[in-house]
Amino acid sequence: MKRFECLQTIAPLIKDELFVTTAGGATAEWNAVHPSDGNIQVKTLGLCSSIGLGLAIALPKRKVFVFDGDGALWMNLGSLATIGLHQPKNLIHICWDNQQYESSGGEPTVATAENIDFAGVARNAGIKSSQTATSVNELKDAVGLALKNDGPHFIWARIEAGRAEAPPLRYDELENKYRFIRYVEETEGVNILRVPPPASYLLK
Amino acid sequence: MGTVAGAQQILSGLKEAGIDLVSSVPDINMLQLINLLYQDKEITHVPVGREEEGIGVCTGAHLGGKKAAMLMQNGGLLNSCNGLTTTALQFGIPVLLLIYYAGDIGDNAFHMVGLVTEPVLQGLGIKYIVMRDPAKVKQDIAGAVTLATSSKRPVALLLTRAVL
Repeated sequence: MKRFECLQTIAPLIKDELFVTTAGGATAEWNAVHPSDGNIQVKTLGLCSSIGLGLAIALPKRKVFVFDGDGALWMNLGSLATIGLHQPKNLIHICWDNQQYESSGGEPTVATAENIDFAGVARNAGIKSSQTATSVNELKDAVGLALKNDGPHFIWARIEAGRAEAPPLRYDELENKYRFIRYVEETEGVNILRVPPPASYLLK
Repeated sequence: MGTVAGAQQILSGLKEAGIDLVSSVPDINMLQLINLLYQDKEITHVPVGREEEGIGVCTGAHLGGKKAAMLMQNGGLLNSCNGLTTTALQFGIPVLLLIYYAGDIGDNAFHMVGLVTEPVLQGLGIKYIVMRDPAKVKQDIAGAVTLATSSKRPVALLLTRAVL
């Protein structure tokens, strides 16, 4: 299955969930399929699962998706243990495994040799809802199940290599961050970014 | 191990400064503080396995509206450098870094990590205070959190045994 087809299949299931997307091809493709200020890009390889965990802990009533890659998850495999420890019910972690560092030119990852079972690693780290999807329908069912039930959820999406024609992101990381936080403020009814009043306002 | 009184003063300083989430990797000199965090009901405590994960957790927590701090040893600061650079600094994320200063004057282990700690913080462009005066603990925490919030950058407090 191709990642882009999977993303197109997931998009109609989405309401106001938040998305933390890896430093890789999934980010541009997801923003092409589902443009939203509820999407935040990640620039540090591997850190999307940890950022998603922090977001899920901060907003326990909001579903948070993490789009990871096989190379990125390899770099921060310990994050599965940390998610297994904290058990965030609202976290849905999908690893798009194309068995290569696609954004770096296609070098092999840990997944290339097919020795590793990412879903098994996640399950044994304490993420009980750990599923494997090898077809678009299996993936749609897995995401549907994850949206209906408490997590944490992990989905190992075994995809073909190859990137769809998706335009680059319109926003750099700073604009993306501000828009994301404003979106969280509006949809959660909270105030996150406060600008202190100028000192002159304090004069009587 | 630190003292209970020192740990209590730091914890109440964090609360007064509005910190409501702390991610941590332990050091023996912060044992009392970590113990208090495990018991505390007001601050969300998120232990992680490696410090760079904690930078990610604090970033996600900030995006969701928390005021976050990362508690670690200075060896963990070195483990976190890419996350600090390409996530916390590049996205402009306020995170309070509470770092035990191993290898400081008077320490008998980890002299290399002590030697590189301040140059690494300077190289990253992260402002910091070396905390040596127990009487200034709350003031230093409040000042660091104010600067982190207004500058939207990490700010570091280097905790010596004098304040723990």
